[in-house]
Amino acid sequence: MTGRHFFFSPRRHREPTVSQEVETGRNRLMIASALFAAAFAVVAVRLVDVTLLGESGAARLAHSVGKTFHRTGRADIVDRNGVLLASSLKTASLYANPRVILDVDEAAAKLVSQLPDLDEASIRAKLKIDRAFVWIKRHLTPQQQYNVNRLGIPGLDFRTEERRLYPSGALSAHVLGHTDIDSRGLMGIEGKFDKLLRRRQAPLQLSLDLRVQHAMRQELSRAMTEFRAIGAAGIIMDVHNGEVLSMVSLPDFDPNQPDQINDDARFNRTTLGVYEMGSTFKIFTTAMVLDSGKITMRGGYDATKPIEVSRFTIRDFHAKKRWLSVPEIFMYSSNIGSVKMAMAVGTRAQKRFLGGIGMFQPTPVEIPEVGSPLIPARWREINAMTIAFGHGMAVSPMQLVSGVSAMVNGGIFFRPTLLKRPKGQSLIGKRVITDKTSEKIRRLLRLVVAQGTGRNAAAKGFLVGGKTGTAEKVVGRRYKTKALMSSFVGVFPMNAPRYVVFAMLDEPTGTKRTFGYATGGWVAAPVVGSVIKRVGPMLGVRPMDEEAPEVRREMAIDIVTKKTGKRRLASF
Amino acid sequence: MINRATFVWMVLAISAGIGLFVLKYDVKSMEGELARINQHTLENLEAVHVLKAEWSYLNAPARLEDLGRRLLSLEPVDTEQAASISDIPIKPPIRKTPHSPVEYSPAAGQVPPILATHRRAQ
Repeated sequence: MTGRHFFFSPRRHREPTVSQEVETGRNRLMIASALFAAAFAVVAVRLVDVTLLGESGAARLAHSVGKTFHRTGRADIVDRNGVLLASSLKTASLYANPRVILDVDEAAAKLVSQLPDLDEASIRAKLKIDRAFVWIKRHLTPQQQYNVNRLGIPGLDFRTEERRLYPSGALSAHVLGHTDIDSRGLMGIEGKFDKLLRRRQAPLQLSLDLRVQHAMRQELSRAMTEFRAIGAAGIIMDVHNGEVLSMVSLPDFDPNQPDQINDDARFNRTTLGVYEMGSTFKIFTTAMVLDSGKITMRGGYDATKPIEVSRFTIRDFHAKKRWLSVPEIFMYSSNIGSVKMAMAVGTRAQKRFLGGIGMFQPTPVEIPEVGSPLIPARWREINAMTIAFGHGMAVSPMQLVSGVSAMVNGGIFFRPTLLKRPKGQSLIGKRVITDKTSEKIRRLLRLVVAQGTGRNAAAKGFLVGGKTGTAEKVVGRRYKTKALMSSFVGVFPMNAPRYVVFAMLDEPTGTKRTFGYATGGWVAAPVVGSVIKRVGPMLGVRPMDEEAPEVRREMAIDIVTKKTGKRRLASF
Repeated sequence: MINRATFVWMVLAISAGIGLFVLKYDVKSMEGELARINQHTLENLEAVHVLKAEWSYLNAPARLEDLGRRLLSLEPVDTEQAASISDIPIKPPIRKTPHSPVEYSPAAGQVPPILATHRRAQ
């Protein structure tokens, strides 16, 4: 009606026709159904996507059925046969919220009634501190947890923690070490591989054999008690790859109770302690001179007169006072003969030889407690002489054993290790003597056990060979005469050596049974003999007939007795 | 009026809806079941872990040795007792002498002793 309505100019509202209505209706229906179709199309596409293409959350869940696994904060440690040595178990640790505790005295009294080793006064003090969190006692047993829970004291709660447990107890104390209350490794394998154990779930497999370890520990312990020694050490090593099957140091401790360890028990006499080994070193001197070619098994040296150098006199124990051939020098453990052997080779060559078998480095086994060997700062002639018969230089028993392994296995030096070498791993060793020299050394070692000072180590059927060693301990700057380090290093079976067995007693005293003697042959050799008898079958070494002609031939030595060349055949 | 086709489509639509919800709740209950089973499995694995530790503790060599000594009548094996199959001597063949003590005469209907035992065994 007016000119104001520009946009909404009123139109004459005409009634839509029926067909137009139908048209509109149909259009709306089309749109609606198109929308529905689109929605269902999306559903269909999603269906295909979820069921056929790729991984969705639901599919991942479906595939994960049956794959639940149990995780611990620290990996297990097992021995070479899979026997469990160390494991982490869940325990409950009790803590309190002092701000919430209503009656401190009542709470303290109730707690002490269930956990008797807590001090009531200190608990009361703890519950009075104005803090939200205070530990009461960590690592409760399930029974203790139940009892404390039943007290119903508000403000107490439990936190799940893991505690390291050692099922074999003191048996592998020095090898495994122990952990602190937060399961952090403090010594031994636990200490060295602390980060690795926390990272991985697969168990760490050691080269240790628990059965063999038990035999060694028992026999050593028995000898230590019988001879009232202040300490003992024992090692068993596989000569073909340097794996340590047994490593015992006495006195030892229970790693399940780390707060009760005293310093003497903590000291690892096999790797940390360094000692002058005495006559067992003559194995190296003899191998050195034979390998150099400067002398043969038929040759020898004059041992009539003791050697005098500056103010020292080197003499033999039970001196024979005549010319001795190489086998005789070894059998009678002649110091004079050994010195002359070292002199024949020369100081520099001796140094090189000993360095090659790892005598100048701390032993590379995988524990933190390794001691550095004591070597003279200047290697003068007098040092070379004393080192020839095992004095003037201090090494750890583990170094000695890995050196002897190299001497008897054909002449290849392998790094000693506490971890089991994976099957099929190629071994890297260093050749230190020839195969022929190694064979000669084997015969000499057998001679000592068959006829010499090592007779007490002769476990019948296992063809044991070895060398005794008795050294006076150095206290301050002098040798303490009655304080001995008596040891025996044995190898078996001598015709094809597989294992080195070492035993050492610290300050043994002779008994009536040993006629007052406390030397290696009397106190340590029997330990090695009994251990070999027990563990030989376990390690798959079949007992043989030692008297059989083939065996005797393999171990035969011509022992020359006079410089003129008269021969005495020794076969055994 | 609702004709046949429309009725059919309506029925289909409603059953699709019902089916969808039945499936959904089915899946939900299955998921709950799965979670429960996983939890149960974890508890059992935990228990197995504890039992393994306890088993190793009970198998400590010192304990086994003590039990063996007290309860079993076994002794440590001596080296003389260990042998291999090749150590056993081969049984020498049974030699039949010309004058065998056992005579038999087939004519009389007797059979050789060894055959007799064989026949009996049959």
